[in-house]
Amino acid sequence: MRSFGVLLRRELGAIFLSPMAWTALTFFLAVMGTSFWMLLDLLSRGAERTEGGEVIGQLLGSIFFWLALLIVAPVITMRTIAEERRSGTFEMLMTAPVRDGTVVLAKYTAALLFYAVLWLPTLIYPLTLRLLRPFGAPLDGGALAAGYLGVMLIGAAAIAAGVFTSSITRSQVTAALGAFAIICVFFLAGFLPYIPHGETVARTAHYASGVSHLLDFARGVVDTRPIAFYLINTAWLLWATVRMTEARRWK
Amino acid sequence: MGDVTTGQPMIRVSHLTRRYGRAVAVDDLSFEIGRGEIVGFLGPNGAGKTTTMRILCGFLAATSGDVEIAGHDVHRDPIGVRRHIGYLPERCPLYSDMRVDEFLRFRAALKGVPARQMRERVEAVKEQCGLTDVGRRIIGQLSKGYCQRVGLADALVHEPELLILDEPTIGLDPTQIRQTRDLIRSLAARHTILLSTHILPEVEAVCRRVLILDRGRLVASDSTDRLRQLRRGIVRVTAELKTAPHEDPGTAFAVLPGVRTATADKDGEWRRVRLECEPGADPRSDIFRVAVEHGWTLREVRMEENRLEDVFIALTSGGGSSAGETPERSDS
Repeated sequence: MRSFGVLLRRELGAIFLSPMAWTALTFFLAVMGTSFWMLLDLLSRGAERTEGGEVIGQLLGSIFFWLALLIVAPVITMRTIAEERRSGTFEMLMTAPVRDGTVVLAKYTAALLFYAVLWLPTLIYPLTLRLLRPFGAPLDGGALAAGYLGVMLIGAAAIAAGVFTSSITRSQVTAALGAFAIICVFFLAGFLPYIPHGETVARTAHYASGVSHLLDFARGVVDTRPIAFYLINTAWLLWATVRMTEARRWK
Repeated sequence: MGDVTTGQPMIRVSHLTRRYGRAVAVDDLSFEIGRGEIVGFLGPNGAGKTTTMRILCGFLAATSGDVEIAGHDVHRDPIGVRRHIGYLPERCPLYSDMRVDEFLRFRAALKGVPARQMRERVEAVKEQCGLTDVGRRIIGQLSKGYCQRVGLADALVHEPELLILDEPTIGLDPTQIRQTRDLIRSLAARHTILLSTHILPEVEAVCRRVLILDRGRLVASDSTDRLRQLRRGIVRVTAELKTAPHEDPGTAFAVLPGVRTATADKDGEWRRVRLECEPGADPRSDIFRVAVEHGWTLREVRMEENRLEDVFIALTSGGGSSAGETPERSDS
């Protein structure tokens, strides 16, 4: 697994040294900062819903999270494979003694780590809330951890989708739009349980609703079903990506 | 064939075919390259050179046929094969955001150079390829010549037995071309080299054996010297002389012994006569005698050497041999 480490280091270097990364970080923090500011505004006006879990839901599971994810995940992942194929460096990379799976996994892991780094500064928001105690009870640490777990799980699947779309085209723009479309459809489908459609539809839709999953996590509900849902989706998307890079040999 | 083959060949290609959709890029190609050989892979653009090389490195899969590198099957053991190969792709794509040292260390690690030998290996290939002064430079800011050298250093860094170089001198200036050729010749002692090009003097300068590919088929495989002799059948002589306007030197020379055809054309007041002669004929002294008899001023009589280019054009039927005509498919 030495080659995985070597590749991961290279990919992290490529991400963190690119202006794209810092633009994405700025955008992300602007969106999440706005989200936090609106939450504080809500609390300072003495909003009714001041229960700890609801606050975390407002912080992590609001529309702002989805807005940030919709932009950030495609932007982080669009260059991963598409750019290597466009510039021809993929030929140099894939004629070294490395497996396709190792290359894909290294690229994915680097993108996921960068996504995690994006979230690091947001830890200051719950910390502020904890210090200020705008509501009676202290912020629930468990629910907070579960909320972040949900954020990472959904992000992991979204980034896998981005790496996948990056493997099917040479154009970064196409790759980004593809990832955007997938995440967008997933996000919109997340509202299905909230639209009156009949009992069966609502219950089925709940299994695949990112919106309700995230709100559940933010209330501290760690259900294995959504966890499995995101891990399985991540796994098959990465598998499909490896197959795509292998298929390139036959084209 | 006088090959330096000892035991198992370095490259064994048998009945290799590769199609892109309906287009056939490589058509039932078979050849062997022994250890220690320097082989030129020659052919017009679009002949299938790059496709073949990519298959050898496992970057493309063959539609049918087998490829073995140092006894490893390319399809079944791609990783084992790649350990033996140092590959310089066409146009030399590199990570332009990395520094030269950083890139070479990355590639060395990726190719399994042990950490303790890392510094030594990277320094050695930098020395070999003339990169010692640019170690701290960012690759994207280097000139084309330096990029090519970094690519070559990358191909050499894990001390592979086999070097596959796709158009190693393309886009270089004449001095750099000479340096690159010298470098390749110096590598010949320790590596087997397969080198593709469509520049003929390059092959004559570097390689001892040539494979000529045309439209995916192997049309010749022989030593450079023997290929040149292939055309020894015909002797070509050119004479330049000054005659009176009404006189036709062509007909006068056509009747000389051994001459098959003679055609004359004008170059100002001078005339240039081209003669094709029987094998072994040498009409040069006769040409001089006839010129003196007619009172013509003779300024040149030249017998043409057989050039590899003639062989090449004859074998590839002259079609599509001009540069940049049919861009080779660069799919990845």
